[in-house]
Amino acid sequence: MKKINFQSGVLFGLIVAGSVFSANAQDANTILKKMDDVMYSPKDMTGKNKIVLIDKSGKQEIREANILQKGNDKRIFRFTAPASQAGIAVLSLPNDVMYLYLPAFGKERRISTSVKSQNFAGTDFSYDDMEAKPYSDKYNPKLIKTETNVFVLELVPKGKSDYSKIVVNINSTNYYPELMEYYDKGNSKIKEAKYIFNKVGNYWNAQEIEMTDLKKNHKSKMQMSDVKYDTGLTDDDFTIRKLIQ
Amino acid sequence: MKKFAESIVKYRWLIIITTLVLTIVLGYQITSLKINSDLISSLPDDDPAASLYKKVGTQFGGNDMGMVVLETDDIFNAEVLQHVKQITDSIKITHGISTVTSITNIIDIKNDNGGIDIGRLVDEYNLPNSKAQLDSLKAYVFSKDMFKGAIASDDGTATLIMFTILNDANKQVVARNVKEKIEALNLPEKLYFGGLPMMMNDISDLIVADIIWLLPLVFLLIAFVLLLSFRSATGVILPLLTAGIAVVWTLGIMVLAGYELTMISNEMPIIILAIGSAYTIHVLNRINQTKNGSNKANVTKALSFIYLPVFLAAATTAIGFVSFIFGSYLTMIRDFGIFTSLGIAFSLILSLTFIPAIIAALPANRKKGNYKTEIEKKSLLSDKALKPLVSLLFKHPKYTLTAWSVLIVLSIVGMSFIKTSVNMADYFKKDNPTRVSEDIMQKKFGGSLPVFVVFKGDMQTPDVLKTMKKAETYMKQFPDITTTQSVADLIEEMNNVMGEGKKIPDEKAKIEQLWFLLDGQDIMPQLVSANRDEGIIQSKFASVESKSMTNFVKYMDKFIKENSTDNCKIEITGMPSVYEKLNNSLLQSQFSSLVLAIIMVLLIVGIMMRSYKQGVYATIPIISTVAILFGFMGFTGISLDIVTVLVASVTLGIGIDYSIHIISHYNHLLRETGDINIAIEDTIIKGGKAVVINVISVAAGFLVLLFSQIVPLQNFGILLALSMVGSGLGSLTLLPVILILSDRKKQNIKS
Repeated sequence: MKKINFQSGVLFGLIVAGSVFSANAQDANTILKKMDDVMYSPKDMTGKNKIVLIDKSGKQEIREANILQKGNDKRIFRFTAPASQAGIAVLSLPNDVMYLYLPAFGKERRISTSVKSQNFAGTDFSYDDMEAKPYSDKYNPKLIKTETNVFVLELVPKGKSDYSKIVVNINSTNYYPELMEYYDKGNSKIKEAKYIFNKVGNYWNAQEIEMTDLKKNHKSKMQMSDVKYDTGLTDDDFTIRKLIQ
Repeated sequence: MKKFAESIVKYRWLIIITTLVLTIVLGYQITSLKINSDLISSLPDDDPAASLYKKVGTQFGGNDMGMVVLETDDIFNAEVLQHVKQITDSIKITHGISTVTSITNIIDIKNDNGGIDIGRLVDEYNLPNSKAQLDSLKAYVFSKDMFKGAIASDDGTATLIMFTILNDANKQVVARNVKEKIEALNLPEKLYFGGLPMMMNDISDLIVADIIWLLPLVFLLIAFVLLLSFRSATGVILPLLTAGIAVVWTLGIMVLAGYELTMISNEMPIIILAIGSAYTIHVLNRINQTKNGSNKANVTKALSFIYLPVFLAAATTAIGFVSFIFGSYLTMIRDFGIFTSLGIAFSLILSLTFIPAIIAALPANRKKGNYKTEIEKKSLLSDKALKPLVSLLFKHPKYTLTAWSVLIVLSIVGMSFIKTSVNMADYFKKDNPTRVSEDIMQKKFGGSLPVFVVFKGDMQTPDVLKTMKKAETYMKQFPDITTTQSVADLIEEMNNVMGEGKKIPDEKAKIEQLWFLLDGQDIMPQLVSANRDEGIIQSKFASVESKSMTNFVKYMDKFIKENSTDNCKIEITGMPSVYEKLNNSLLQSQFSSLVLAIIMVLLIVGIMMRSYKQGVYATIPIISTVAILFGFMGFTGISLDIVTVLVASVTLGIGIDYSIHIISHYNHLLRETGDINIAIEDTIIKGGKAVVINVISVAAGFLVLLFSQIVPLQNFGILLALSMVGSGLGSLTLLPVILILSDRKKQNIKS
């Protein structure tokens, strides 16, 4: 009797533990999916992007660009300021295909960024960070804790990455990220992104993302304005011809 | 002076207690003594090349660069690349590391079917492993200037992994962690660690090792010599105590004044111990010889006799060390001079106050018996060496003179062979890891001596970039420059992939837009300032020959003169420029410090003897010794470097003491007896004994430096020991002969 009890106890324990784990995993996956939905649900988006680069002495440098985006894998980034960079445009297409247009040369070049850990145009955002691919495609989530207003997930990359993990705080009401902390393979935090979201129409918009490179003590703020969603952009808006115009 | 001696006896307890309290207070300071192994910090700020080098090294991170060389049969091998990746990864995640660059993660811009591939040389997640892949990697690496000889050695047997350290991190700690981590990987390939942060670690270890091993050794050795000479406990303990306290005070004050221990000043305790103990020996000797009263009465009497000669001995020695304050290029040498003379001053003060106070405080009649037997034994020993010497000198004064003349002529011949050496790598023993790494760097990667050409102007203008490119081409025509790197190279490369050829575009707009692609690359802060108003060409110099460096500096100066404009100001710095200055300063510093020391010593001795002529006589043996010293350096190939340049002045400062000792003894006896022969004989036999003991103990102290880890300090030890013997011998042979010959003439004329 005692033995059976013990065995069933163990069995019960295993079942409970298993279900807790799976519930947990499911929860984490669900939460991350919901975050992806919030971030990537608009069909398309246009807006103005202001990039403020702040070095460790506090010196600022400002760049401005117009952004066009369709789904989560087509995007045009067209710089408007400073004057020396005005007109430079980057077209991102699916499967890591990118084209760069330099107006001074009047020509475009396909660029492959086989290394996604490189920073994008002098910012603290890597090509990897800029990628609009759903997080749930790239990372395995784990729920570490639930706080009053946030879920804290630990994201472990599924494929190649310079990060060992990303710890993300997700708003538990609206499911947008509030904070992402990036860890290198030595498990030290190397970067940190703070998000401010506002509601534009039906969607949550990342009004400002402040990325800090903790090693270099360098910051980049990306601020969005004039954001419009679902204006009916088509694939034709994301061609080399459009890039060059 | 008698008052001074009396008050010392009177206030003996106050003196003893004050000394002890000071020693405890200053000794406590030593616990926070820091080691400074940063050679760069020793470069003088008032020299433009040196201060520019410091500035550029800090601004563009070159001084914080560490290097790991991996050597094996063939680096283009799947397993080896895997190991390089392992090293790269483990450095990358080390705390305090800013960037790592290796063959497995280096940036590569290539033309990819009409597109630009800004990527890495290899895919670090999918390293090449088939023979075909590896062969094509090899062919590609050797086809690009950016990689060939820079990241892979020309023979394909070695690869370089470079890392930079964050500005606010402790460079030495980071470098040590990197080394430990990599060694823990237990890789089969040979690994060498280089770069300044690594070198600093090695130097720190050497500094500590020298202190730990040499200080006790010199202590024991001096104790042994003292025991043999005095055969009494006080005779051993008191001189060592004085010198020991002087060392504590000096180090304590160094800490209070904000100075750190360098690879030169770490030998200061050894030198103070060797020289400083001598003053107490003189004082003790005198007190022992004055034995007609109580301890207190003896001390008073002895002190009033001895204070002047001891003071003079210390003053001349301190002058020797102070003399290179004015001529030395490196601040660490200057600091060494200042603090060593301070230590000597402390030894002097202690031997004139603390020692008499202790003797006065000790109970009376302790050592009379001992002292007598000692005198007798000593005399017996001296008879065998010094008495025959006396008869030799009297019989053949001219032979002695001739022998010295021959030696000096030979030495003058030898002097022409003296070489100078400023290469830091030579300062380490052949098997020292730093030296080995430097050798490998030189053999495989065109050296490790950084060269920076600094351009001030708008870095995005075609003119500036074209001038940069021109400078690079010009530099590479110099045999000792193999690779150069600048932002101009990157712009050319980018222009090429934009389909406009490998050249600098003619329009600024194009440059600005190419720049857009480079912004944010790890390499950029190492090549251009954040406001793009300053850029550098980074290069390495392959030779360590002074001549070659001098030629290079001249060669570059010509270019700068012809090409530097208001819109594009060009300056050059780097180790060749700094070494060239250092090299020039060596001879100049040798000359000025020696002249200064000779003048000061002549002045002091002249005033003391109240005779100019005797002042000159006193300096003859010592100047002869200095000549022989240089001759010895020429014949043995010991080069004149930042440390050995000090020997001549130090020799002068210490060695003159023997002459002073002999002359004053002689004068005293000549006045008493009026007979040259008696005066000379007594001087050599009695005074000579003290000189011999002093020569042996000081030379033995210096010889301990033979065990130093730092080559110039070994040479410093040998040369000073030689000089001590030379000046001792000079004062016992050459000086008496001069005195005999000159005074005989005088007596002949009189009679």
